[in-house]
Amino acid sequence: MVAVKLIPHILSWAGIVLVLLRGFPGRRSVVTLTSISGFVIGVTGTFILFRSYPGTIPFGIVKSALGVSFLFLWGISVAVIYRSTGRGVSIFRGERLVNTSLCAGVVACLASMVAGAVCACRLPATDSTALTFILLALAAGALAYTLAYAALAFDKLLSPSYTVTLTGMLVAVVALLLCSSSSVLRLDLFSPLSMKVMKGVHDFVHQFMESILIPDHLFVRSYVWNYIGLLFGKEVGFWGGMVIWFTPAFLIALAIRFERLPSVAHIRQGAQRRTLLAAAIAKRRYRLVIPVLSVAVFAAAAYQSRFPSVEYWDPKPLPVTASPAGEIFIPKKGEIDLEDGKLHKYLFKQGGREARFFVLMTPEGRLTVDLDACAICKPDGYGQAEGSVICYYCKTLIPLDTVGKPGGCNPVPVAFTEKSDGVVIDGMALINSWGSTVQATARVKEGGK
Amino acid sequence: MKRLFRALFAAGSSRAVPPVVIGFFFLLYIGIAFFTDETLITLMTFTRKSLILAVLLALIPLNSVFRLVRETIRFLRMRSALSGKTKEGVEEMFDEVVEIAVSATAPALESRLAAVGYKTRRSGNVIAAWQGISSFPVRLFFLAGTFCLFTGILITTTSRSSLRKMVVEGDPFPTQNGSGGTVERITLANSTGPILSRTLTMEVAPTDSGSRKRIFGLYPPSRHDGAFIYPRYLGLALYLRFTAPDMPAGYEAPSFLNIYPPGKEENVVIPGSPYRVVFNIPEPESGSERYISYMSGDITFRFKLLKGKDVLFTGSVPGGGEFVRDGFRLVLPDVRRLVVTDFIKDNGVLFIWWSALFFGAAGVLWLPIRGLFPRREMLFRFDQGVTTACSFADGGARKHAGVFHEMLDMIDAKRVETPVI
Repeated sequence: MVAVKLIPHILSWAGIVLVLLRGFPGRRSVVTLTSISGFVIGVTGTFILFRSYPGTIPFGIVKSALGVSFLFLWGISVAVIYRSTGRGVSIFRGERLVNTSLCAGVVACLASMVAGAVCACRLPATDSTALTFILLALAAGALAYTLAYAALAFDKLLSPSYTVTLTGMLVAVVALLLCSSSSVLRLDLFSPLSMKVMKGVHDFVHQFMESILIPDHLFVRSYVWNYIGLLFGKEVGFWGGMVIWFTPAFLIALAIRFERLPSVAHIRQGAQRRTLLAAAIAKRRYRLVIPVLSVAVFAAAAYQSRFPSVEYWDPKPLPVTASPAGEIFIPKKGEIDLEDGKLHKYLFKQGGREARFFVLMTPEGRLTVDLDACAICKPDGYGQAEGSVICYYCKTLIPLDTVGKPGGCNPVPVAFTEKSDGVVIDGMALINSWGSTVQATARVKEGGK
Repeated sequence: MKRLFRALFAAGSSRAVPPVVIGFFFLLYIGIAFFTDETLITLMTFTRKSLILAVLLALIPLNSVFRLVRETIRFLRMRSALSGKTKEGVEEMFDEVVEIAVSATAPALESRLAAVGYKTRRSGNVIAAWQGISSFPVRLFFLAGTFCLFTGILITTTSRSSLRKMVVEGDPFPTQNGSGGTVERITLANSTGPILSRTLTMEVAPTDSGSRKRIFGLYPPSRHDGAFIYPRYLGLALYLRFTAPDMPAGYEAPSFLNIYPPGKEENVVIPGSPYRVVFNIPEPESGSERYISYMSGDITFRFKLLKGKDVLFTGSVPGGGEFVRDGFRLVLPDVRRLVVTDFIKDNGVLFIWWSALFFGAAGVLWLPIRGLFPRREMLFRFDQGVTTACSFADGGARKHAGVFHEMLDMIDAKRVETPVI
């Protein structure tokens, strides 16, 4: 089962090696060797990291590396579009350095390290004996060796006319890394990006309207306000995230498309001019292949993030009632074991009002009672996946050890009393907390004022 | 000194400045996002407090000015070159420059250029040909818009001050120096406009015989004493008298209630007692105007009287009326309209408004010019048996290059007829 899960990650890495071999055609041996060693270092290093710092830290490190690579791609894409659209703009003065063995080796090693780290995040937790470590290193090395040489053989089969620019190579490498990581829930970048975009757009629109002194919603026609309200929905986060996600690949493709054709004005034979121009245009088209394919890879990553194959634990809320004193009692043991580490949802109704909440035992052994809603999003509720709960509205992952703490997209904590046989919650406080939270998030949906 | 100035001008007018500065702020935003949910506000606070960040942000408007100067100089030089007045440094303004060791026949060249839709002008030994409209005015608007937008953001971020005050009917208009006249009337009315559903006016009487009556509306906001008057929320000012069996001396004081929209609750705490009165305005019947009570001034409050956490009773009391029960008495002898208003000192707002106009103009002009009439230029100079040909295109470059090459072939054909010795 683990081997099946690893297949897409390993294929992504093989794709990376192939692109690197195309991108550095004169440095094949360096690229092959550094890719293999980078992959082994990535796998074993992350394995050690997981054993040294169990919890969220290793995921954070790998996710940060992916984020930095995406930001780097953004910077490069902006620079190349500026270079290709400006007259006499020179940005890269170190292109000669980029084509050296050193650079080829560093790029291949870093990309493979990240790819190896992503693979290691898929491995199940095992006892960290020296033997396990050695076996893992050997297996990673053998696998990397086989795949790298398969990529090398495939590269030799390809026509030399399929050239790849350095920026095209970079966009393909980052696309494959992100595609690989998007299937690991805790490494996925697209969902948190969408959530941040949603929040960023909300803040920006709010500040902008305050800045230019737009009247408040009570003075504005409701249909106008509804249009403004569209900017506060999760769709804006999704589409804004899509724009940010795809823009580097599009910019690099456009930069290649906007490359100036060679000057042929000095040639006096029309046929020769046309031949030269046609050759330049054909070469430019070939160079567009990889960035265009990268757009498809980015799309696959976004799709995986949007529709993950992970199944969330999301039990149907059980109805509960309050005692005459207004207290809700939920026993620790019985049909449901509150201490099993799973999320248990309940529904409390009183006087036409209702509140949805859950009880959860965190990995630290702490019981927590929280609303099935956060203070930011529409109350679509939470599901539980491995090591985290997910906000269904904005797809933000909340590590289990932070559930019960207020703020951000965390579920809103509810005050409760823990007894030896169960937990006691004040029904009125629960209803009021739900009411004010849902009212506040509805206001956000209506325009954030 | 001159070299230093040139270097500074070249750096300041570089196209790389805006993306680098924006990229830096973007990275800072991402960094802040790791630590707080209020990312934008934190970034704005940092920029307000840090001189370095403010200077960095100021580089963008500065760059716009430099680019404006640079592009104006280039435009004027190009015009001068096309009219044959400038000869030095002409080549670097064009995309392609070719020299052919033969002198062309000017009339033939001109007639061929005219036949393919180019306008021509001959002055001395120079033939200029052009087609389409220059995008220079669009660039001018765009750069002016960029300047205004980022200047506005800079001023707003670093110097905006806001003071929230209650503008109450019958009270003096709350200015900083206390010189505001009496607020004669606050009027909320339905509007027929496409954007605003309601209008709000605050009429302020003149302070002395020399001044005029002032009326403050919603948008665009008026200014008073250098501050924009920005109405935010509606409320009511009331004078409240309250007596209870255990406090026969009673309590009376004015209160300001930010109580709209209907249904919103506001507290009046009776000091030195366990009592608290929670007011709200009942929702009107469905289908009727939600703010009808504010518009008409016919206001009835719904209230809850609380002693500690216990609700003693609920009831209704009209403005100017009273409510009596079980020894409790609640009187509202005076109820007046109020507007919670922000007095905002911020000159950046004007720049942001101007930027919207400039960007709008640039957008409206750019699309047809770039799509339908892109600028294409050619220049042919004949000097001592040598023709220097230059070409430039804003758009449609391949079609233009085809015509340019044809002209060069035509000139070159003359060499075959009369070889240069």
